[in-house]
Amino acid sequence: MSILTSLRSTRILKLLPLVSALCILVGVAWLLLLPLDDYSRRTYISENALLPGQVHTYFGGSEQDVFRSYRHEVTALGKNASADGSGVMAEKIGGIFDAFGLKVGKQKFEYTAAGGVYAGENVYAVLQAPRGDATEALVLCAAWVNTEGELNESGVALVLALARYLKRWSLWSKDIIFLITSDSRAGPQAWVDAYHDLHAPPAVASLPLKSGAIQGVVVVDYPTSRGFESLHIVYDGINGQLPNLDLINTAVRIASGQMAIRTTLQEMWNHDNQYKDRLRTMLRGMVNQGLGHASGPHSSFIPYHIDAITLQAYGDGWHDEVTLGRTVESLFRSLNNLLEHFHQSFFFYLLMAERRFVSIGTYLPSAMLIAVNFTIAAIALWLKSGRQNTGEEEKSGDGRVSEEKRRLIESAGEAPSAAGQPVVVSEERLLLLSMAFVVAIHFLGFIPLYLFNNLDEKNFNSAFNIFTLLNIVLPSALCAIFTKSFAPTPLHFALIKCFSLLLLGMFLSALATLNFSLSFLIGVFSSPITFINPTPKRKWTVGTAWMILLQGLTPTTALVGVALYWGEPLSEILKEAAFGWRVWGMWTQVVVWCVWWPAWIIAGVQVAGSWAVEA
Amino acid sequence: MDRRSFTVIIAAVVLRLVMFTAFPSLPDLLTNRVELSTPVTSFKRLQEGLFLYTHGLSPYDGGVFHQAPLLLAFFTTLPSNPIVVYLVYILSDVLSAYSLIQIATSGVSVSTPYHTSSRKSSAWPPWAVAAAFLFNPFSIATCIARPTIVFTNTAILTAVAKGVQGQGIAAVLALAMASYLSLYPVLLLPPMILLAYDNLPAVKKKKGRSLGSFAAVLASVFTVAAVGLGTLSWGITGGSWEFLASTYGVHLLLPDLTPNVGLWWYFFIEMFDSFREFFLCVFQLHLAIYLAGLCLRLRKQPLFVITTLLGISSIFKSYPSIGDTALYLSLLSLYRHIFPLMRYTFFVTSTLLYATLLGPAFYHLWIYAGSGNANFFYAITLVWSLAVTVLVSDAIFAVLRDEWETERPEMKGKEIVQI
Repeated sequence: MSILTSLRSTRILKLLPLVSALCILVGVAWLLLLPLDDYSRRTYISENALLPGQVHTYFGGSEQDVFRSYRHEVTALGKNASADGSGVMAEKIGGIFDAFGLKVGKQKFEYTAAGGVYAGENVYAVLQAPRGDATEALVLCAAWVNTEGELNESGVALVLALARYLKRWSLWSKDIIFLITSDSRAGPQAWVDAYHDLHAPPAVASLPLKSGAIQGVVVVDYPTSRGFESLHIVYDGINGQLPNLDLINTAVRIASGQMAIRTTLQEMWNHDNQYKDRLRTMLRGMVNQGLGHASGPHSSFIPYHIDAITLQAYGDGWHDEVTLGRTVESLFRSLNNLLEHFHQSFFFYLLMAERRFVSIGTYLPSAMLIAVNFTIAAIALWLKSGRQNTGEEEKSGDGRVSEEKRRLIESAGEAPSAAGQPVVVSEERLLLLSMAFVVAIHFLGFIPLYLFNNLDEKNFNSAFNIFTLLNIVLPSALCAIFTKSFAPTPLHFALIKCFSLLLLGMFLSALATLNFSLSFLIGVFSSPITFINPTPKRKWTVGTAWMILLQGLTPTTALVGVALYWGEPLSEILKEAAFGWRVWGMWTQVVVWCVWWPAWIIAGVQVAGSWAVEA
Repeated sequence: MDRRSFTVIIAAVVLRLVMFTAFPSLPDLLTNRVELSTPVTSFKRLQEGLFLYTHGLSPYDGGVFHQAPLLLAFFTTLPSNPIVVYLVYILSDVLSAYSLIQIATSGVSVSTPYHTSSRKSSAWPPWAVAAAFLFNPFSIATCIARPTIVFTNTAILTAVAKGVQGQGIAAVLALAMASYLSLYPVLLLPPMILLAYDNLPAVKKKKGRSLGSFAAVLASVFTVAAVGLGTLSWGITGGSWEFLASTYGVHLLLPDLTPNVGLWWYFFIEMFDSFREFFLCVFQLHLAIYLAGLCLRLRKQPLFVITTLLGISSIFKSYPSIGDTALYLSLLSLYRHIFPLMRYTFFVTSTLLYATLLGPAFYHLWIYAGSGNANFFYAITLVWSLAVTVLVSDAIFAVLRDEWETERPEMKGKEIVQI
C-alpha cells in the first residue's frame, strides 16, 4: 500500500506516458543504430571442427562432361509435358541414382489447402558412409522446380553429378542423402515430415528408406544453363527460425574465400557494405522472418532443428557449374567434420552483410522496449484507475479540493472495506466486465483466423473486401453494443485498455523470444494504441482523427502492404498464408488475428467511446 | 447448496466436457506439458504402470511409474473407455468444488472462535469461491491434462471441509488419503487437528476434551489409516514393499530430474554428487520448517495456516506442478476480504501471466527449436516461484494486518512499519 500511495501521490504517474513514448523511440532508434560498425560485429567461425576451405576440392575435369549429359537429360525430361506431374521424373531420376549403386526411395504426397491440391513425388538416394554407422546424415537437395516456378535444370543435374562423384570418396563419416523434391514448397515439407514420422499417412506417404539424424542441409538452386555471377544465400526458416550462423559463415567463407564467388543475402544484389545497404539487408531479413513463410526448400527443415541453407546461382557471369560443385564439395567436407550438432554459434541473429551481424543480446532490447511500453502504459492505467475511483466519489461533492479528498486518497487502498459492501460489488463488476470484454474480443480473433485458413481460394478476394469493410465499422458497432447493453463508465474504458495493453505487452515480449522480427513489426504498428484514450470532453474531431489513423494501421492494411511489397495480387498472399498454415505449420496468422487484431479492435472501441460515453 | 452454486458446477462440467470432446488432441497435448504433469503425477506414466500391472509385471519395474498402488487398483476396475476417465476427473473437480462450497458456507475463513475479521462482509459467497476454482484456467488445464494431483487436491479439500465442520476423524482420514497419494499433505496434519478442534460442536467441547487428547486421538487415527493404506497397497502389489521406495522414495530422494515448475530439478542437475544427500536434507527440512512457526503465529486461523502451507509446498516441494498452485489459489479465494490489504496484487497477477506465457515459449526454444537451453526455462520457473512467493507472503501480511486491525480498530488505514 505504501508503494502504491507514494506512486499515486508523486508525479511519476504523469510521467509514465512519457516513459512509454521514450521506450518506443529508443526501441526504434536502437534498431536503426545496429548497422553501425560500433554495434554490429564481424562474423567468425565458432565451431573449430568445421575448418572451412581447408581442403583441396577435386570436382571438375571429366565430371563436367558427366554433369552436362545429366543436364541434357533433365532438360529433356523437363520439356516433356507429361513429366511435370513428377511421376516420370521420380522414375527417371531414381533410375539414375540406382545406376550409381545407391539405395533409392520414392515418396508420393498430396496436400490440399484453400481448395487447391498440391501433389507430387519426391525421390532420394542414400549414400552410406564408408566410415560411419548411419547415425548421422547430411542432405544435398535440389527442387525439380524452384520457388519461381522455373525448371532447376543445372541444380538437379549438379546433385546427380555430385552423387556420382562423392560416392567415390571413402572419407565420409556421415551418410549423404541426395534428395530431388518435385517442388520447392510442399515437397521438402512432406519429405522432412515423413523422415521424422510426423506426417499424415494417407496424403503423405511414409519413407521406404531412412538414415540417421540429419546434421545439415544444402539446397542447390541453379535454374539456367549459363554461367552465374554471384551466389545468393537464403537462410530464413519457417516462423522466423534461423539456421545456426556457423553454417552460413562456412558457406560464405568457402564461396568467397576459396572459390572467389561473390555472395549476397536477402536479394541485395549490389551491396556496398555501407550503412544504408546494411540497414536494407537487415530490414529485408526482418520482413522475411516476420512473415514466417518458407523462402526456399531449406525452410521446411529448420523447424526440425536441422540447419539448412539454399545456395542460389544469380546473374550472368563467368562462374560455372564446376565452381558451384566445388563449393558444395568443400561445404560437405566441412560438414563431414562436425563432431556434434551445430551448437557453437548463434541461432538468433540479424545479418546485415554477408560478413556482418548482430546477435540477440544486442538487438533484443529494441523489441522488448516496445513491448515494455505497453506494459508500462497498462501499469499507469491501473494506478490511475485506482485514483479515478476515489476521484469519482469526490466529484460528486462538486469536486472541491478539501481534506475529504486527502482522506479518500489515503484510504484508496482500503476504499472497499471502509465504504462497505456496495463498493466491493461494484468494483468486482467493474473488473469482471472489463476483463470479460477483453477476453471476448480476443476470442473473436478466431473467426478471421478460421475464415482465411479454410475458405476456397476463389473466394479470397471477395471475402477480403467484405472483411475490410466490416473491419472499418466493427469498432464503432462493438462500442455501440457495449455501451447500450452495459452502460459502461469511463473507468470501464480505462480498465479495458489497461488489460488489453497488458496482454499485448505480454504476448509481444513472449513472441520476441521466438520471432523477434514479428514482435517488433507488430509492436511498431500498434504503438499508437498506447496513446489512445476516450476523449469525452473534447470535440468529435479528435476522435475522428484517431479513427482515421487507426484505420491506416489495421492488419488488413498490413496485408495490402505485404501484397504491394511482393508485387503480387492479394489473393496470392492469402493463398500463401492458407498454404503455410496447412502445410508448413506457420503461425503468423495466429499472432495477427489473435494478438494484434484484438488489440486494434479495442483501440478502435476506445476511440469510438469518445462519442458514446458521456463525460 | 444454493442454485447459483449448482449453476456454476453444471457450467464447469459442461465446459470440461466440451474441452475434452471438442478438441480431441488437447488432453494428450496437455498431458505432455511438464508444467502440468510431473514424474509423480503424470497420466502417461500412470498408463505405463497400468499396462505393466495388468500384464502381471511389477508396475515399478523400469523406474517410470512413481504413483500410489491404489490408483492402479482403481483404474483397472474402470472400463477402458476414455470418456469414463474424463468423467472421473471431472467428478473429482466437482467434489473439490463441493468441498470449497462447504468451506465457504461455514465462514471459517472470516470468523473463527478466536478471531472475527472486521471485513467479514466483503468475503465472496460460496458460489463465487467455487467459480474461482472451477473456472481458473490453471484448474481447467490440470483437469484436462489428467495428472493424479487432481485426486490429491480433492482429498485435501475434502479433509478441510470435514475439518471446518468439526469432524476430526473424517478430516484426518481424508488427509491420510491425500498423504498416501502424494506424501507432502502429511505436513498439514497439525493445522488440520487445530482446525477440527476449533470447530468442534459446542456440545462436544463442553465435555472438556483437551487439545492434547484430541490431537493424540487424531494423530493415532492418521497413523492407523496410513498404515492401513500401506498394507492394502502391499496386498495390491502382490506382497511387495517395492512401492514404498518407488513412490515416497522418489518424493524424498528426487531420482527423476525431469523439468517442472519447481526449483529442485535444475539445482540437483547442477549439484556434485557428494553434496546431494546434504542438500536433499536441507531442501526437505526447509519445507517442514514453516509448520511450527505458522501454527503458533496464526493459531487463531488454522485454515489460513493450511492455505499458506499449501502455497509454500506448491513452490518448494520436490515435484510441484500448476495443479498445486491452482489449489492454493482456490483456497486463497476464501480470503477475498483481505485482498484490499494486499500490496502487490497487480504485480503478482501480471508476473504469473508473464511466466505462463514465457514458460512454454522458453521450453519450446530449449526442447524443440534447440536454440535455447535449460537456463531459459529455469529462469522462468524462478520468476513463477518468485510471483507465488510474493503472493504467499503478501497474503500472510494482509491476514496479520487484518488480525491487528481487529484488535486495534483505531489503526485502520494507517501506515505501519515492521521493525
